[in-house]
Amino acid sequence: MSTDLLHIASSGVRAARVALDLTAQNIANAGTQGYIRRSLQLNEVASAGGYNRTGDLSFSGVRVDGIARNADAFRQAEVRRTGSDAARGATELSAYQNVEAALEHSGLYAAMAGFESALQQMTTDPVDPSLRAAALESSETLARTFNLASDALDTVAQSLHFAATDGVTQVNRLAGELGRVNLQLARSVPGTADHVSLLDQRDGLLGQISGYVGITTSFSANQTVEVRIGGSSGPHLVAGGAVSTLGTTAAADGTLSFTVGATAATLSAGSLAGQTQGLQCVRDSRNTLNVVAQNLIATVNGAQTSGVALDGSPGQPLLSGTGASDIAVVLASGSQLATAPAGAPAGSRDPANLAALRSALVSSDISGQIDALLFQISSATEGRRITSDALTTIAGASKLALDAQAGVNLDEEAVNLVRFQQAFQASSKAIQVASDLFDTLLAIR
Amino acid sequence: MTTVSTSAFYDRVNLDISTLRSRAEALQASIGSGQRLTRSSDDPVGAARLRTLSRADTFSAIDLSIAARASSDLRLTDSALQSFAATTIRAQELATQAANGILTPAQRNGIAIELNQIGKELVRLANTRDSADNALFGGETTGDAYGFSPGGTLTYLGTATAGELPLGDGQSVVRGLTGPEVFEFDAGGGPTNLYTVIKTLADALGGVTPGVDPIQAARDAMGALETGLETIATQQTIVGTRLNWIDLNTERRTQMSELRAEEQADVGGTDLAEAMSRLQQTMTVLEASQASFARLSSLSLFEFLR
Repeated sequence: MSTDLLHIASSGVRAARVALDLTAQNIANAGTQGYIRRSLQLNEVASAGGYNRTGDLSFSGVRVDGIARNADAFRQAEVRRTGSDAARGATELSAYQNVEAALEHSGLYAAMAGFESALQQMTTDPVDPSLRAAALESSETLARTFNLASDALDTVAQSLHFAATDGVTQVNRLAGELGRVNLQLARSVPGTADHVSLLDQRDGLLGQISGYVGITTSFSANQTVEVRIGGSSGPHLVAGGAVSTLGTTAAADGTLSFTVGATAATLSAGSLAGQTQGLQCVRDSRNTLNVVAQNLIATVNGAQTSGVALDGSPGQPLLSGTGASDIAVVLASGSQLATAPAGAPAGSRDPANLAALRSALVSSDISGQIDALLFQISSATEGRRITSDALTTIAGASKLALDAQAGVNLDEEAVNLVRFQQAFQASSKAIQVASDLFDTLLAIR
Repeated sequence: MTTVSTSAFYDRVNLDISTLRSRAEALQASIGSGQRLTRSSDDPVGAARLRTLSRADTFSAIDLSIAARASSDLRLTDSALQSFAATTIRAQELATQAANGILTPAQRNGIAIELNQIGKELVRLANTRDSADNALFGGETTGDAYGFSPGGTLTYLGTATAGELPLGDGQSVVRGLTGPEVFEFDAGGGPTNLYTVIKTLADALGGVTPGVDPIQAARDAMGALETGLETIATQQTIVGTRLNWIDLNTERRTQMSELRAEEQADVGGTDLAEAMSRLQQTMTVLEASQASFARLSSLSLFEFLR
């Protein structure tokens, strides 16, 4: 009988020791990213007697059944989904802000106003060499400003490409690790510390992948995970130990498309989707900028070639180029500006062709087009910011909800520490009682 | 039971405090710069309006310098017209003297010499230069307004009109007068000009053109000079009206630019009172949350378990 008591008490001591270890582990990992609070599952060991011994009392103590992970699969999936959306929103917003800065900081609108006002100033005395030089310089400034805006857009596109390439590399690395974790999970025993930490790794990897691409996950009975890109019918990125490669190709206009294995994939969330949308915005802005530059070249050159220069020769084109990136001033001297109408003699002060150029600039509304481009990108950016703020708030809330449920609460662990210490002391006391009982029996004379 | 994990508590506090901090910093930036908008996307419509206003400011500055230019050219024209008038009046005096029958031929010859000088002076005055060193009375020509043909007749070399200068908002002003407008008039049944009248009189008095009664010539010239003086006076009135028109436009431009500045301040400026009170409010909330965080985070069960 006393051996039974000794046995029960020692199982209690063992269980309390494991529980204290686990509590210490929880406290140690209170600040660890992705750590989910463990709890101990204990089971009573008791036999229900046997043949002809139905009334027997037979207690055998306690046994550690396993380690439970207090994770809510739904909340984890929500954190991944909303995190993916927020990453897409934030990346897209930063791309839009960069495009906005590229167009706005180039000073395109002010340069256009400067060019028009220099032309207006020239009406006071069209033969004044300094006014002519000023007008030519301001056209030079305008052309350079277009170049600058175009270069800045190129830089935005390059940084987006760089980030997207890095994102694809990261996704492939993470997917490879997830495949290995899947294989280990299939082999490990549920309820062991090893199994639980593999689950933590699995969830951490899923969270990291979902930051780059929107994924759909499905879990099998042995806790391995299948990852698809896009919706539930999208191509497999990870299935068990098999991993497909995410690939990307850039089109001529700079936009990106993606493949998983050999299948084309559409990304709807994650930073890679944000970079794709940002590159589309760069493409659209560049197209509009090129159209404005072409309009400017056509308008200015059209007016210029219908007049005569200061020396009476026919006017030559002022601007060359096919778009914003290569627009340039080709006239060498201000005297070549054709301010006088065709047929006017050399040195004519007749400003008729200058007036024609100014009214052509007004009627083709170049500055209105620049204004419209700036307005379009800035209002799009404002819209993206509101969306991104909302998505970030939603993602933060769902992450908090998961943390609140699955994270470590130090107060609770402090209580557990005291509770399991008492359990340990009580079981130790039971061992002492067993020993006393044994001594009492031996002392019978 | 809902448990709140320790990391969730820290995360939430971090989120709240950093949101408040960034709001306070945005307010501080707007107060510090005096600008409500730091980039177009803060308020796309307002930013577009500000762009249009600053464009109008650029053009207004150019309009102002053009108006100053037109104004100075017209003032130069005005003073040249006064010299014209003075010279013409002197010629009138001399013609009046010459019309007197008691003068000796030598005296008339003296008057003729002076009249010849006056004629040359008139040509020099007609070729006065404007602020850009172009002929004041030459219209849009780059050279002299008047020159002598090989036969010795005075010829107008300029263009038919003086050209207009834009004053902004679709208004414009004619920048000056052409020579024919000032110099030429109808007298004695045909078109003539001041120089021709004076030259003809000088020739008659000096006996260069034989068979002309000098006294009759002087009387004819007096009538023609009177008409010439009237023409000059009329043109002075026109110049005065144009200067007045420029002043009116300048006044209107000043009013418009005041309106623009007001609108710029309304659309893009910081309302200091509002911004300061909002900053104060944010700071109060921030201080309160920091204080409550400090108190809450010092609450740990481990402190009390001994």
